[in-house]
Amino acid sequence: MQNLLSQQFTDLESAYYSVVGLTKLGATVPDHEVRKTFVKSQLDSTSVDSLFFAAEISRAISGCEIPVSNETRDLLLAAVSEDSTMTQIHRAVSALSSLGLPLASQEVVGSLTARINKEDNVMAITMALQTASQLSQQAELGGILEEIEDLTARLDDLGGLYLQFEEGLEATAMFVTAAYSLSDHVDMEPPIKEDQVIQLVNSIFSKKSWDSLSEAFSVASAAAALSGNRFHVPVVVTAQVTSPSLSLSDSQLLVTDVISQPLDSANVVVESAYAVASKTAILNQAPFTINDGIFELNFMSSQPASGYYQFTIAVTGDSRLVANHVELKVKVSTEVAVTNMDLSVVDKDQSIGTKTTRVDYPSKAKSSFTADSHQNFAMSFQLVDVNTGVELTPHQTFVRLHNQKTGQEVVFVAEPDSKNLYKFELDTAERKSEFDSISGTYSLYLIVGDATLENPILWNVADVILKFVDEEAPATVQPKTLYVPKPEIQHLFREPEKKPPTVVSNTFTALILSPFLLLLILWFKLGANISSFSFSPSTILFHLGHAAMLGLMYVYWTHLNMFQTLKYLAIIGGVTFLAGNRMLAQKAVKRYAWCTSECMIHDLLVIRCSVRAQRGSHSFFHSFIHCHVCNN
Amino acid sequence: MSNSVISVISRFLDEYGTTTPNKLKVVDAYLLYILLTGALQFLYCLLVGTFPFNSFLSGFISCVGSFILAVCLRIQINPQNKGDFLSISPERAFADFLFAHTVLHLVVMNFIG
Repeated sequence: MQNLLSQQFTDLESAYYSVVGLTKLGATVPDHEVRKTFVKSQLDSTSVDSLFFAAEISRAISGCEIPVSNETRDLLLAAVSEDSTMTQIHRAVSALSSLGLPLASQEVVGSLTARINKEDNVMAITMALQTASQLSQQAELGGILEEIEDLTARLDDLGGLYLQFEEGLEATAMFVTAAYSLSDHVDMEPPIKEDQVIQLVNSIFSKKSWDSLSEAFSVASAAAALSGNRFHVPVVVTAQVTSPSLSLSDSQLLVTDVISQPLDSANVVVESAYAVASKTAILNQAPFTINDGIFELNFMSSQPASGYYQFTIAVTGDSRLVANHVELKVKVSTEVAVTNMDLSVVDKDQSIGTKTTRVDYPSKAKSSFTADSHQNFAMSFQLVDVNTGVELTPHQTFVRLHNQKTGQEVVFVAEPDSKNLYKFELDTAERKSEFDSISGTYSLYLIVGDATLENPILWNVADVILKFVDEEAPATVQPKTLYVPKPEIQHLFREPEKKPPTVVSNTFTALILSPFLLLLILWFKLGANISSFSFSPSTILFHLGHAAMLGLMYVYWTHLNMFQTLKYLAIIGGVTFLAGNRMLAQKAVKRYAWCTSECMIHDLLVIRCSVRAQRGSHSFFHSFIHCHVCNN
Repeated sequence: MSNSVISVISRFLDEYGTTTPNKLKVVDAYLLYILLTGALQFLYCLLVGTFPFNSFLSGFISCVGSFILAVCLRIQINPQNKGDFLSISPERAFADFLFAHTVLHLVVMNFIG
């Protein structure tokens, strides 16, 4: 972080972040003189921001005086009002206090409370807290103090490990800085619980590289606040267990605060330590001795067995310490040795006595062993911890047989029996499928490995000649052709159904149309005609409309969809309907009119035809033929 | 036995020829035409197969629908049935016939594919 903050800066804002950030970390600021002249040249007395940056830098570096005039003071005082933004108020107040100018605290409190109501976001309230920490203690800061609690409630809990604002790292870090500076100022413990502090520390310091100068500055301020305040100081315990093998006798811990300053006054005690596998305790309340800033404990002297251990460590000494109970996992590893390695070839029916050969690690057996289908090959050995002499059961004990000619290898697992004696038996006839029945010379390897072993073993023990029955010609082992492009699959589209031959279709089409001819002939014979066709507009319109509808049907079949058809149909159909209505009405009237006339003399209706007439509401049986007055 | 059938049929035809008015005979000719068309379509389907099944169905349904509508028209314009259809004049029956045919043809054209 120091490198990021020490970069060259181009404007006053980055100068501010860089200088003040470095000061908070307790590092020295390089190039004092350059910075001072730079600040003086960049200072713009008419801008509140510029005055703020310059004033803060002058407070951080000594000997950098800013000329203060009455106008400057008035400008800053004027900025402290309800109408300026929270940033403005904060910068004005800080500038005033850094430059040693008087300000009216109560007025500031008033404008802060008013702004908090207007700007309800996290950064604004954080800046209000920061501003309040610069005011005199007589002012009423209670309302502003309550904001700390509100903001704490707004933090997001991520997985129980991290606590941060959704606005990001910078907001969280600035909040921490502001909350602690205000709490220190009014000497009241901030309402942040211990596990919340731990979670905040986790989230603020989890990032190892920062995007911008302001982000780096905010993290630096938070670090300074967390190490220097009067209430909570989180403790960071890192293990420096460099080489926990039994050759080195200590395990070392580095206990520091957040800025990696060692806490010399603390006492570090192991409350308990127990083995994870067996849950037996090996240490209880053993203190660490401090040695040049690093806490050490010599626990190897109690000769623990190899494996994983859980240590619970407590750091005491200062009432402010937070997160001072830590759990660490320690691994004790050891070296293994193979003893009593016995190899033998046993006949299946046990008629011939076994021939046992002992082999010592790391040498190889002098003669090779032969086993054919009637014999078994057997191996037994023990694995022993070098330092304690206790038998071990590591996770991986494999026996590997490697055919030198074909490159084939087969791996088996050796299992321990109840006395921790490892045994391995190879039944030649039973296992021949795994060897693909390829006879030949196989080199035998023993592989031993575990997480707690420092020296895993790969040992070529002997050569074994295996003879299988039904030997096939040794085929070279094919590497599996998994990643070769596979043969292409041709997609078969759905075959369209077989259509009948066109001749048949055409024949039947003609056949279907033939009844139409029959119809025309019949109609002609019956004497159906269009002789009473009257050329009135509605008739013509009706027939045209009807023809248009039929044409629309054809067009629908070929081109259109239902919606378009319905649209056209509505138009044409409407026209046709109206025309047809009129036409049919006229026809009806004509028919009716043929039957009736008026008596010229008496103006009475005379009905002439004797046939029952049907016409809408006028259908009645004509019964009289003459005017019933004058018999005309 | 067949004699009586033939005599019944010939007598029926005679009476039909004399008593039915011309208009009804026109409609009857139309009915015969529709019937033949439908029968021929069905025959084709039986012989050749139902390859474009939707086309066969739409054609057949068109024939059946037209037949039914024409029968309705015939009933309604028959003067002997005047008592049953007091409020429906022949013109009205014809207009209904045309409207129903429009709907039928719309459906048939949609389905014919």
